[in-house]
Amino acid sequence: MASVELRGLVKRFGSFVAVDAVSLTIDHGQLVCLLGPSGCGKTTTLRLIAGFLEPSDGEIRVGDRVVSSKARTLPPEQRNMSMIFQSYALWPHMTVAENIVYGLRLRKMDRDTIAKKLAAILATTRLEPLAQRYPGELSGGQQQRVALARALIVGPETLLLDEPLSNLDANLREEMRFEIRRLHDEYRYTTVYVTHDQSEAMTTADLIAVMNAGKIDQLGSPEDIYARPESEFVARFIGAANVLKGTARDATHVEFAGAVLAVVGARLTAGQSAAVAIRQHEIQLSTRPPATAHNTLKAIVTRQVYLGMNRDTMVEAADGTTLRVTTPTAIAVEKGREVWLTLPPERCRALSR
Amino acid sequence: MTLTTTTSPALKPRIDWTRPVLWLFAAVLIILILLPLSWLAVFAFTDKNRHPTLANFVTLFSNPDFLDPLLTTAIIATTSALICCIVAAPLSWLVSRTDMPGRQTIRALVTASFVTPPFLGAVAWELLAAPNSGLLNQLYRLFAGEDADALFNIYSMTGIIFVISCYTFPFVFVLVANALDTMPGELEDASAILGGNAWTTARRVTIPLALPALVAGALIAFLQAMTLFGSPAILALPAGFHTMTTKIWSLFQYPPKLELAAAAAVPLLVLTILLLQGQKALLGRRGYSVIGGKYGAPRRVELRGWRWAALGFCLLVLLNPVFLPYLALLNAAFSPNATTLVTPSTATLHNIVFVFTELSSTQLALKNTVILGTATATIGTILALVIAYVTTRKVIAGHRMLGFLATAPVAVPGIVLGVGLFLSYTRPPFVLYGTLWILLLAFLTINLPSAYQQLQAAFATIHPELEEASRILGATRLQALRQITAPLLRTGVIATWCFIFIGVMRELSAAIVLFTSQTKVLSVLIYDLNEGGDLAAIAVLGIAMLVITFAVVLAVNQIPMSGGNAAAKLRNG
Repeated sequence: MASVELRGLVKRFGSFVAVDAVSLTIDHGQLVCLLGPSGCGKTTTLRLIAGFLEPSDGEIRVGDRVVSSKARTLPPEQRNMSMIFQSYALWPHMTVAENIVYGLRLRKMDRDTIAKKLAAILATTRLEPLAQRYPGELSGGQQQRVALARALIVGPETLLLDEPLSNLDANLREEMRFEIRRLHDEYRYTTVYVTHDQSEAMTTADLIAVMNAGKIDQLGSPEDIYARPESEFVARFIGAANVLKGTARDATHVEFAGAVLAVVGARLTAGQSAAVAIRQHEIQLSTRPPATAHNTLKAIVTRQVYLGMNRDTMVEAADGTTLRVTTPTAIAVEKGREVWLTLPPERCRALSR
Repeated sequence: MTLTTTTSPALKPRIDWTRPVLWLFAAVLIILILLPLSWLAVFAFTDKNRHPTLANFVTLFSNPDFLDPLLTTAIIATTSALICCIVAAPLSWLVSRTDMPGRQTIRALVTASFVTPPFLGAVAWELLAAPNSGLLNQLYRLFAGEDADALFNIYSMTGIIFVISCYTFPFVFVLVANALDTMPGELEDASAILGGNAWTTARRVTIPLALPALVAGALIAFLQAMTLFGSPAILALPAGFHTMTTKIWSLFQYPPKLELAAAAAVPLLVLTILLLQGQKALLGRRGYSVIGGKYGAPRRVELRGWRWAALGFCLLVLLNPVFLPYLALLNAAFSPNATTLVTPSTATLHNIVFVFTELSSTQLALKNTVILGTATATIGTILALVIAYVTTRKVIAGHRMLGFLATAPVAVPGIVLGVGLFLSYTRPPFVLYGTLWILLLAFLTINLPSAYQQLQAAFATIHPELEEASRILGATRLQALRQITAPLLRTGVIATWCFIFIGVMRELSAAIVLFTSQTKVLSVLIYDLNEGGDLAAIAVLGIAMLVITFAVVLAVNQIPMSGGNAAAKLRNG
């Protein structure tokens, strides 16, 4: 039982830096999501942890032993980890049962123990009736559960998941999301979960590391990441926030499109450019000037779409910035009309990057 | 829920031997390919005392003795390639895209002409169309009168082109049929829905999409025709002219002119490399024919009343490489005189008895061939397997170089390689001339590229995550290879083994410069017998050769390996 620690991890492919000085500590039993767009280095980081790749610099520790460093990399088979692959990687020439007990056989366990463990995991993953089938004869969701069972049965110290749900349809994905979290809570492996889907990360992770261009952009709880983004990248990537770019008037005020907005978040320096994030549904839109002029903006509606539960309205501020606002269905404003936006100060987050 | 949460006992560290082993393979490859080519270069550019000179090339390009064969070779290769395309294109379209009856049979028959060694085909056509004794000419004289001129003369430029085309067109057929097989049906449906009828669709969509494969096939046919030794040696020498390959061979006859032979091999080598580059450029652009993932099976064009006419056309074409030659060979094997039609009363087993009991070199040649075939196929498959693994999984630095080396012999015609090997292994430190080893090296090198490409394609269908899944669960690299990769590769490995074995059986052009009396193989024996005019014995040996081939291929397919039904289950991932 051990923690996983990355220290200044670097991976270069030729001149391309895929992973750029990543440091991250995952406590024992924690589930950490590496979240980011494709090409951000999250899968490379996972493969470095698994030992399929050797780091160009930095090191990886599991508990108190170094498993990867520039000088020496322990091969994957000696790391006591399990991994669930994007393709599931079920062996087509083995039955479900043979696939699942493969790891136990390598560990030279006796027949009775293997049978007992197999029965238990088949029950947990609801696969008993399928044990003698071949992977090609299973549906996507069933294949996914076999992959899960095969990874869990060996009782790994660390569990790695590489976009495990991306091949499932939407309903199944939601179900498996909670299934993975439930199994994690039951066994408490140290888990690293790679995904590009923010809601997947939100529902499963204890801690989310948002990655961008090989670096961890922000590390925090799901709530931290969503409610208190620190960078423009995180604000845009998680929950698609509006980002307003203006000039700081003092530590907590920003001048934007002719208005002065009171903001929270990062401390600003007067006269410097500043970026402020605010989510679409946190902006109030009205067709008449509001009672107080605090944190209000004038804008022109450029597009408006009815979505059923609400409306998606696009507006253009005086400086040309386009903002998206989610409004109640009752407020229907046609294109070209002037509107007033109220941006509550506690929702305007100044970004440090 | 009783699943334990304790971690399993940690696995003991083991030493990873993979890398040293892989470097060893790389070294073997370098010796196999670079050594003979270096000696070839040395001899081509030096005189008898190994002083650098270009005199060899001056002789080559000023002497009509060398210029004529060069021209002859060019004519033969070009016309053969053209004929191959003209015949193979309609044939593959009929087999792959129409509802012609007996499609599978036609495919099998084309494969049969593929397996037939070209030199055997040439001998069979001697039996059929030699000007005086040929069976077809005899038949013709039955109608035209006793003293009519021969209808066919196989000992001519036309004859050679015909026979070479017979045994080269399967290369084009396989490539084009493959392209047509894998062409998505939706592409044709899209044309149909826009108003194109079947023939318009074929003309505007199907044919343009298959064109790159056709041109690539033409290049391969050209290369085959250019580098073939057996057929021209059997048919051109009696007619009194030479091709490049027979000329190189004649330079080995007493008194040997090794420098000239090496120099004469250089144009063949250069042309081959240029053509392969051209083919690569063509196939590189072929990406457009396999865009996207899931497509339906292609619809077949309904030929209606033409169905049987189409089948008739296919059978008529196959008369030439398959039916007629095999009939002639069978006839010769059981007839007292090779070129007399056998009747029940004249049928005799004399030829068979003669070949297996009286002909002294039969036993030796049979033994050598089987030993070399088995050894080459086994070593070659292992070598190709390891290299394909290294290049597809990028295990060591320099894997690209390794892949290049493994495909490089494609550019070395058999007779050129023979010359190179002869020059390399007749002198210290490696004196292998006169042993089976030098033939093993030659056959290994010749067959490596296609074996490597087959296995590389097989590896590419196995997702690397399948191996990684087994590594992360505790398997070493070798365990993962044995338990996961090997069973999944079974079909590919067996196919490759058989392919090499057949390749060895039909190889003549390198063997002809490397054999000695103790290391004769079947193909060389057949060639020798042809020079002695003993066509009946050739017929017996040729049939024996095919029987051995089929027996071995059948036997190998019976070898049990774990996960034997893997191919059928390769549906996920």
